[in-house]
Amino acid sequence: MTADELDPLIHVPTRLKIVATLAALPEGDTLSFTRLQDMIGLTPGNLIIHLRKLEEADYISSKKSSNGTVSITTVALTGHGRAALDDYTKALRALLGGL
Amino acid sequence: MNPMPDTTTAGNGGNFDPQQAAVLLNQTTQQTRRRTEPFPPWLVAIRAVLALVIYGTIWLSVRGQHPYHWPTAAVIPVVVVLGLVNFVATVTVAKRATSGVSGRTSVRTADVVFWAALWAGVFAVMGVLIGAGVSDSVVYGIYPATVPVMVAGVAWAVVAASRANWRAAGSATAAAVVGAAGAFAGPAGSWAVVGVGLCVVLLVNAAAVAWRQRRSVVRA
Repeated sequence: MTADELDPLIHVPTRLKIVATLAALPEGDTLSFTRLQDMIGLTPGNLIIHLRKLEEADYISSKKSSNGTVSITTVALTGHGRAALDDYTKALRALLGGL
Repeated sequence: MNPMPDTTTAGNGGNFDPQQAAVLLNQTTQQTRRRTEPFPPWLVAIRAVLALVIYGTIWLSVRGQHPYHWPTAAVIPVVVVLGLVNFVATVTVAKRATSGVSGRTSVRTADVVFWAALWAGVFAVMGVLIGAGVSDSVVYGIYPATVPVMVAGVAWAVVAASRANWRAAGSATAAAVVGAAGAFAGPAGSWAVVGVGLCVVLLVNAAAVAWRQRRSVVRA
């Protein structure tokens, strides 16, 4: 196995951080856009670009809801995204020969 | 904090090598676990010490009583204040950690109200027991030392199991078992048994949470 075989959608530092952050939550939990932004340390515009790419691949799902005057966007890892990260992690382990 | 260079344009991550990816994956996972943990190990460890201090102080005030009456009046305000500080600190830390998180991890206002009502209910029953003329050794000894721990332990175990949080369910069950064991130690001894038992359960829980937070996903 070579590094080129790692999932190119996840094997980008920012997207790996996004996916790993969402995966560290229990399955089914969602994270608000602002909290995710705070944890990743990205500008909103930058974060949106990466989230869009992940959403297009069905790795994450986002939901917009309105709480009175405030609009809240929540993000969650899909089952497909969790499986993709599992595969990516297995591939990393195989490459590094660890765990 | 962004320790790695971003490579948004490269489909394969550019010069982002597997070693760096493993480090970033571990760092991010550990950081998220730490930042979203509603009951962090340091807080659980403080609660363990607090439980030992509260129950130990009461035990010291009753251990020489023959027959058993009740804990020294001076101990009560200290216990109440420590109990309130524990409750407020736990709720504040849990709310902050789970801010923006929805689902099983989040701590809702309904949860806080439920726990407050549960504790109030347990002590309301104590008032009923006093009114019913139940003996001092039960009303001021075995009941307050063991029943709150048993009730809270069982309730928390059910809540945790319903959220598939098996570690928390195990700890809560252990706390309930400690409460039940204390009931067999007599009115004075129950304070000591529950204090030490609860301290051990909480310390083991703190160690388990700390281990989980530090556990690596990939050996980098």
